[in-house]
Amino acid sequence: MANFLGESYMDIDDPEVHEDNDVDMIIESSSNKEDDKERNFWKGSTNAKPDKFEIEEGSLELLRVFYKRFFPYKTYCYWLNYSIDPMDKPFQNREFNFVKPGDDEVYMRYLSFDTIEEFKNEVLRVCPKKIDIGAVFTAKPKEKKSLKLSALKPVEKELIFDIDMNDYDEFRTCCSGATICEKCWQLIAVAIKILDSALREDFGFKYLLWVYSGRRGVHCWVCDERARKLSDDERKSIASYLGVIKGGAQQNKKVHLYKNSLHPSLTRAHKIIEEYFERVILEDQEVLKDEREWTKVLECIPDDGVRRRLDDDWRKNSSRHSTEKWDNLLAELESSTKMTKNQKKADSLRVCKIEIMLQYLYPRLDEAVSTKMIHLLKSPFCVHPSTGRVCVPIIPEECENFNPMVVPTISSLYNEINDYDRSHVKNDGERSLHDYEKTSLSPYIKYFDKFVQSILKETLAKNKAAMQMSMEF
Amino acid sequence: MYSNTDTNNKRTLASSTVGGERYEVKRHHGTKYPHLLNFYSVPPTEEITIDEFESFAFDRLQVLKALEGAILRNKSEDDVKKYLEETSNKWLPLHSNESSKAYLVQEERRKDHISHFILRLAYSRTEELRNWFLKYECALFKLRFLRENPTEKQAFLNDENMRWKSLNQAEKKLMKEELNACSIPITTDGEFCDLFEIDFEKVPDLVARRAVYLKEGKAYVPVTQQLSLVMYEFRQRLAKALELASKSFITLRNERIMPMLDEIIKQYDGRTQTSNYSVINNPIADNLVDHFPLCMQHLYQNLCENHHLKHYARIQFNLFLKGIGLTVEESLAFWKKSFSKVDEDKFQRDYAYNIRHNYGVEGKRQDYKPLNCMSLITKHRPNSGEIHGCPFREFSQPNLKAKLVQMGVRNDEHIREILNLAEEEHYQVACTKYFEITKGLLDKNNDSIIIETIEHPNEYLNASVLLEKNRKKMSNKDK
Ligand code: SF4
Ligand SMILES: [Zn+2]
Repeated sequence: MANFLGESYMDIDDPEVHEDNDVDMIIESSSNKEDDKERNFWKGSTNAKPDKFEIEEGSLELLRVFYKRFFPYKTYCYWLNYSIDPMDKPFQNREFNFVKPGDDEVYMRYLSFDTIEEFKNEVLRVCPKKIDIGAVFTAKPKEKKSLKLSALKPVEKELIFDIDMNDYDEFRTCCSGATICEKCWQLIAVAIKILDSALREDFGFKYLLWVYSGRRGVHCWVCDERARKLSDDERKSIASYLGVIKGGAQQNKKVHLYKNSLHPSLTRAHKIIEEYFERVILEDQEVLKDEREWTKVLECIPDDGVRRRLDDDWRKNSSRHSTEKWDNLLAELESSTKMTKNQKKADSLRVCKIEIMLQYLYPRLDEAVSTKMIHLLKSPFCVHPSTGRVCVPIIPEECENFNPMVVPTISSLYNEINDYDRSHVKNDGERSLHDYEKTSLSPYIKYFDKFVQSILKETLAKNKAAMQMSMEF
Repeated sequence: MYSNTDTNNKRTLASSTVGGERYEVKRHHGTKYPHLLNFYSVPPTEEITIDEFESFAFDRLQVLKALEGAILRNKSEDDVKKYLEETSNKWLPLHSNESSKAYLVQEERRKDHISHFILRLAYSRTEELRNWFLKYECALFKLRFLRENPTEKQAFLNDENMRWKSLNQAEKKLMKEELNACSIPITTDGEFCDLFEIDFEKVPDLVARRAVYLKEGKAYVPVTQQLSLVMYEFRQRLAKALELASKSFITLRNERIMPMLDEIIKQYDGRTQTSNYSVINNPIADNLVDHFPLCMQHLYQNLCENHHLKHYARIQFNLFLKGIGLTVEESLAFWKKSFSKVDEDKFQRDYAYNIRHNYGVEGKRQDYKPLNCMSLITKHRPNSGEIHGCPFREFSQPNLKAKLVQMGVRNDEHIREILNLAEEEHYQVACTKYFEITKGLLDKNNDSIIIETIEHPNEYLNASVLLEKNRKKMSNKDK
């Protein structure tokens, strides 16, 4: 009935959902040892030495060094300002949240800053273990207390997407919980490729900043002006367009294609998936390896006979490799499609293969993150509190080769810079390097610089054109 | 604001609605209202009597409320149409041009026009009122648009200057394959039907359903989907007009009109007060759980096992509790107890706000109603890892079967029946069947209560509690 009103959307309109996926996850996996181990980062490793306090202080010290010597304040603030100095509304009216260092999650909410200096000083003073970025409001969020509720309305924010390994756990076999390896990273990489191409080709967005979340996921910040100005309803429609994977924990079949013809966006996704399906899903994840796994795949087939025949066959030959079983499945689907006289059934069998492929490799998005302008998201270049890894940008074209395990951490950066300073004597006339240039953080910051420059150039050109227009009048 | 002219009962509305500016009413073909449909872009300038003012507003409100009622009760689109037809004919009849001979169409349209502007003004006062008005005015316009005949529709759109960039044959050929894949209708001469190029933001519902081809930010919308475009335009214009009206409302201090507008709004408030689903007064006791519908049982079990529920599951369950009659304090205490692994600080920070918010004591202070089955079934479908929604829809067949068995449905015939209904997408009927089976309504003839299709989880609970009460009474009598 909702559609009938021309708005398939929600009644529950929660203006301040400060829902934090990480928080949720921590609760749900609190029994998970891996996770506990990671969470102890601030206390050093699990084989902790008796003097816990000192080690804790130690990693806080590392974080302080990071903020002092590595964090790219200037580019970062220019980015959020969408223009160089002076700082203006997009930056000054932007909501930030800091999480204070320490074991308990103490939030500092509704922060906002007037200048780069102010932002930097506060970061250095607080040394937040997490920084969240929210929307740009009609007024300065820090003045919330003195403002009327209606004076503080969100006006714009980047369109954001969150892809988390969490959502792949139902079939991921190489790792579980908070761990991640090169094999399962490929799941994320394919998701990036598909989403990146859809956002560019379908929606015409150009400025997409992909950021590693520091543990087992990625965020995408769509920074085009048009994306920033989207209303919540428009965000919902995009999320729904890209929301191919439907169904909760109690539903195994999560993709339903109704028509014979595949929407062009899905055709493109399918083409990308075809390149990776065999290697990533059949070889690396071996989703047809044993009965528990293959049952999940079989449940996606809308025909009892096909299911039973495959199941029987594989039980007898369970050692057969996943790729071979997949061939069995395709052959079985094809012959049954030919056999059946029921047109509807034939159609549903024909699309079944694509449905399964999409189900495994189409991006699994957390819709709630994308649909609300006011949703807060962890900022690029902050440090994941449980891994110590820096949330660095990812180049989408090279996402397959991105290795989360070798992303710089605050302690590796600390060592690198000390090594460098110890072994390098500056020659006369030699340009003095930025601290980040002395470390493996360098390529990430350079990429970020380039990205921000390209946006600034466009706004500059637009402003110039607007200026000229008004001059002519 | 209004002028005291010949008789003291004549009032004009125009200047109040647009902050002092006067508009000329458009005249076409010598008549004031050439079309049944109206975008209401021009406020009425004529004078009306106090009586008219009151009765027009009242009558339109009846139609909007009837529409709300029908939609909230999840009537099918056809039913809503029929229902609207009846109420409209009674309160606000509006006829197309073909029938102009038999009816006073100009009179009807004048009333439609003026009543819209009175309510627009009255409902501009708060955001909640604005949203309500916007929602049901859109629904009303949509139904009227659907009902109007094509020639009239086109004439109306032409007059309103609703034209979009359309593609020529060559342009269509270039994207032939993609258009085919999007099932763009083909005309009798084998060509694609008329196709408009439009910014994707303007057709959110088509984008959401992947019903259009998108390329670099443009949506290619077939003429058959014109309705989406028209609705977008209508909604945008009305939303903007309401914002404007809300600003002029503040400056409007008229001692005659204000009380009348207050009166109109009171009728709206009466509506929100009726959301009383409760028959039970004590907070959630364990034996009450037996009366929960499957969706809530499932959430409750998960909550007990994991001491946690995710966002939408929390909203679903919290509003259900609210419907049972828990006060905000009782509800907070319940969640506090259930989230036993969460410390006080975190609880206050991450959850308490939203719980209070559902009760309307935080944020926008909107008093949210417990969600009905249709919203649970259609909105916010769970993502992987989420467990909210209606189990009859969200569970795969094997899982649903297992759940039914777990809940004590053991008869194969019964299981098959429920599974079939769920598979055929009759989720609420499946739920009703489940009720009848688990309450033993099918095999006992002595209290064969016929229950209607479950429309609301709280209704399920109330029916179950009532049934138990009646049975107790009966058995006491028997003794
Ligand atoms: S039909 Fe309604 S009451 Fe029954 S399980 Fe589904 S949502 Fe709950
Ligand atoms: Zn892995």
